[in-house]
Amino acid sequence: MLRAGAAARILTVSELAGRVRDTLEGGIGTVWVAGEISNCRPQPSGHLYFTLKDDRAQLAAVMFRSAAQVLAFRPTDGMDVVLHARASLYPQRGALQLYVEAMEPRGRGALQLAFEQLKARLEKEGLFAPDRKRVLPRFPRTIGIVTAPGGAVIHDMRTILQARWPSARVIVRPVRVQGPGAAREIVAGIQDLNRLGGVDVMIVGRGGGTLEDLWAFNEEVVARAIVASVVPVVSAVGHEVDFTIADFVADVRAPTPTAAAALIVPDREEVAASLARAVPTLESALRSRMARARERLGFLRRALGDPERRVAQLGVRIEDLASRSRQALLRRMAWEEREIASLATRLERSGPTPSVRRAAERLDAAAGRLRFALAVRVRHARAGLEQETARLDALSPLACLARGYAIVRHGAAGGPIVRDATALAPGDTIVVGFARGRARAHIDATEE
Amino acid sequence: MAETEAPARFEEALAELEGIVQRLEKGELALEDSLAVFERGIALVRQLSQRLVEVEQRVELLLKSDAGKLLLRPMPENAD
Repeated sequence: MLRAGAAARILTVSELAGRVRDTLEGGIGTVWVAGEISNCRPQPSGHLYFTLKDDRAQLAAVMFRSAAQVLAFRPTDGMDVVLHARASLYPQRGALQLYVEAMEPRGRGALQLAFEQLKARLEKEGLFAPDRKRVLPRFPRTIGIVTAPGGAVIHDMRTILQARWPSARVIVRPVRVQGPGAAREIVAGIQDLNRLGGVDVMIVGRGGGTLEDLWAFNEEVVARAIVASVVPVVSAVGHEVDFTIADFVADVRAPTPTAAAALIVPDREEVAASLARAVPTLESALRSRMARARERLGFLRRALGDPERRVAQLGVRIEDLASRSRQALLRRMAWEEREIASLATRLERSGPTPSVRRAAERLDAAAGRLRFALAVRVRHARAGLEQETARLDALSPLACLARGYAIVRHGAAGGPIVRDATALAPGDTIVVGFARGRARAHIDATEE
Repeated sequence: MAETEAPARFEEALAELEGIVQRLEKGELALEDSLAVFERGIALVRQLSQRLVEVEQRVELLLKSDAGKLLLRPMPENAD
């Protein structure tokens, strides 16, 4: 009885598994299924394995890299999601598996969730910390702008920059700001402006749009490029109400692109006005400096006092000193006199003894008598001498001369007396001495 | 007059000017120095005002050559 009928064919395991798979795929196909993620295991290859469960059942699920990489958010355990998935059999294990083509978070948008996740992660890294923010230069000379090249946004920014600070150079790095690849272009733009050098500050941004339009500015690569930028970054994405991850990591968040343009440069008019104010400030500062100097000079002059009065004071002082020194000198002299007198007295008292003094007195008396006696003697002698002189005078040749005789001498007054005419020759000189005076004569002739 | 140039950066020049006013106001300078500093301040004001005189803004596009080199090109007024 046990025989295989014509219709009953024996299947291999692979064949059966194949039929189960075909049945599953044909009967169920691709469906939307909601559940909670658990046992989520992202692979280095980019594939994502997890279990989708509700309170009564669970199914294994895989999301291949091609599908997983476009997810804006990161699936995590406990997350409520809706999957677009194909139910099928994984033949090698004989296990039922959901092949996930798309995933949406339940209750809020995928982008919203992705935003919140990235924001939380970067915040935990400290990338939003206020002390990371750099101060923008007050007067940027070169301004970089990373945005879409055409349209009203760049035009408005240029208009404002031109009006407020026309001397700034503006370098626009054109990028796509939405759609696939926009994030990578923005990253490249930020990096290029850094590499160029000389850029003082840059604006990264775009005009308003939907959350999807602005999405590139919520991507992690863009956030990391802003963080890594050496040039300070001002984010300017969408409108006032739009907050992006770029806004959180930028050094300054501007509510709109036009606001960013107004924010990074000063207003020329205001600066000019403050410069104009600087001149009177400088002048008044100098004036007050001068006034202080003058004041100090006046103070010092008063401290020095009136020179005339000072001279007069000096004169009085000098006179005072002079009179004092005079008096001191007089006192000193009087003292000296007293001192000498006292010394004399003392000298006297301590001088020769009385007997010597008596001897001296006797000596004086003797000397007096001697002088007197001598004078008498001299008087007598002088009288005798006069008598003798008169007698001598009568005998003198001078008396002969007085009677008329003369004395002839050879040559000069002291020459030998001529007693013989033969001793003379014609031409000889003779001197004839008379009682009064002499005469010089020449001999004409001699006679025997 | 040997009037030295203001610093190249507007910011530094303005900071110098502010410093000059402060030093003058404090009155710590010698009188001759304060006069020289005052003259420097006035020169800075003049040079900075000069710089504020309109200079046509230069707007350039930063592009990449085929070889990946960065190029600067004047940006047309209407780049739409």
